[in-house]
Amino acid sequence: MSFLKVERLCKSFGGLMAVHNLEFEIKEGEIIGLIGPNGSGKTTTLNLITGFLKPNSGTIIFAGENVAGLPPYRVCQKGIARTFQLTKSFPNFTALQNVMVGRVYGREPTTNLKAAAEEARESLQRVGLLDKEKVLAKDLTLMERKQLELARALATKPRLLLLDELMAGLNPGEAEEAMQLIKQIRDSGVTILVVEHIVKAILGLSDRIIVLDYGEKIAEGLPEEIVRNPQVIEVYLGKAHA
Amino acid sequence: MQKKGSQVSKKIAISITIVLILIATAALPLVVKKDSTINLAILVFLYVTLSSSWNILGGYAGQTNLGHAAFFGLGALTTRLLWLSGRPFILSLLAGACVAVGFALLIGIPAFKLRGVYFSIGTLALAQILYITVGNVFPMITSLPTQALITYQLVPRYYLALVLALLTIGTAYLLVNSRLGLGMMAVREEEDAAESLGVSALQHKLLALSASAFFAGLAGGAFAYYHVGYYPQFPFTPVWTFDAVMIAYIGGTGTIVGPIIGGIFYVVVKELLALKLVELHLIVFGVLFILAVLFLPGGLVEVWSKIQTAFARRARGQEAQAALPRDTGI
Repeated sequence: MSFLKVERLCKSFGGLMAVHNLEFEIKEGEIIGLIGPNGSGKTTTLNLITGFLKPNSGTIIFAGENVAGLPPYRVCQKGIARTFQLTKSFPNFTALQNVMVGRVYGREPTTNLKAAAEEARESLQRVGLLDKEKVLAKDLTLMERKQLELARALATKPRLLLLDELMAGLNPGEAEEAMQLIKQIRDSGVTILVVEHIVKAILGLSDRIIVLDYGEKIAEGLPEEIVRNPQVIEVYLGKAHA
Repeated sequence: MQKKGSQVSKKIAISITIVLILIATAALPLVVKKDSTINLAILVFLYVTLSSSWNILGGYAGQTNLGHAAFFGLGALTTRLLWLSGRPFILSLLAGACVAVGFALLIGIPAFKLRGVYFSIGTLALAQILYITVGNVFPMITSLPTQALITYQLVPRYYLALVLALLTIGTAYLLVNSRLGLGMMAVREEEDAAESLGVSALQHKLLALSASAFFAGLAGGAFAYYHVGYYPQFPFTPVWTFDAVMIAYIGGTGTIVGPIIGGIFYVVVKELLALKLVELHLIVFGVLFILAVLFLPGGLVEVWSKIQTAFARRARGQEAQAALPRDTGI
């Protein structure tokens, strides 16, 4: 049985079809890469799955339940967490408080703030940000804010984690660290969908890759298949190279 | 270890201060017999209650409500009508607060479809509609009946206002230090992120709005109990909103102490200025408000914490100097 199954998903903005009849499946424990040129509908797809956008039609079956159209907080409570392309931290909260929100609300809500703080520290430790627990989020660097988003998402105890261009803006060394971290998270039992612009990063990371163009799936397969797919090369580099 | 010790002693110091303030405020009418002083204290408590209640939604949940006078007014109107028609005062007071909460929920669901400044404009408009409606429905002045005037005493009004202020501050403190408070502040900080982590923004805003309206309604009830005669639409005037907002900003929004300091500062300065400048005090407060927003976004509370950190830094600097070897020849 598939873990996440997207069927005939459609979303239009005015006359523009941002996502058109999209269908794909994810198995539990996979790392799936979602790539495509600018405006191909990657972030829209992510927003549809996480409830930030309501689809015009189609279903999103997660662990046997249709989550399409649920508000974002309900989707999170079902076990789907996400990070944002442009980081959205709580600027006047400390790093620890940021993560605590995820732990206290998330998939296993609790009113015990003390215990939640302890577990939030574990999440910070996991992404390597524990030494910054008392620093306000607005005073963190970009890399640290990305780590913070990840820690916060992990604190919600997700079963499926959606990462929206986590590696954008990081230098090669930082991107390498991030890749290792994503693999570790998968090994701890979290299924991962990675939206990424940097094809190179995603090739080394993903078990399977889905390629979008103009809101439609144009290819799906193993990384080595995708790089040789003429249609994929065409949308990325133009017809002459295909 | 040393740090922990100083934290504990700080906690003790704060507890002692709170107890002393409680005793002082509780004993005030026994010691001071001057009505003008008692009146001034009642005003402080009313403004602290009103401003703290605004602060729950405006300061902690980040929704700048410019229709707060509606809750104050509804509390006053309901309490006054029920009380003067012979119902027990406490029941009338609670009914007033409940009507305010009912109205809050009624307007809250559509108003929270609006974000940011549109929410502020929307709430201001709704409160104005209510203000004009009440003025038309109840055009006559409401006065206490003769019997009530003869037995009128200031001291019960004082204690009512004091209890309401303490109740509001205490509830706000417990709320913001709870799970729900964390969620409310997360919504204030970044709504989308909060939602993505499992926080329902709408539920938390409605909760903050209800709590805010409840205590504003109680403050309105105390107003109705305190004043001998007034036009029923008077507590609905937008001045009550702006006073509450100004006090919160001058004292420090999103803090427990802010509205308390702001309330005391506001009433005392207003009294001093009103004696000399009559209505001109409005200009003074307008300027103060703008200055606070521009240069002191954290309000008077921020001044205090800045002074504290400056002193702490100085003390640390001296310690560091003392730690240096004496005979380096410098």
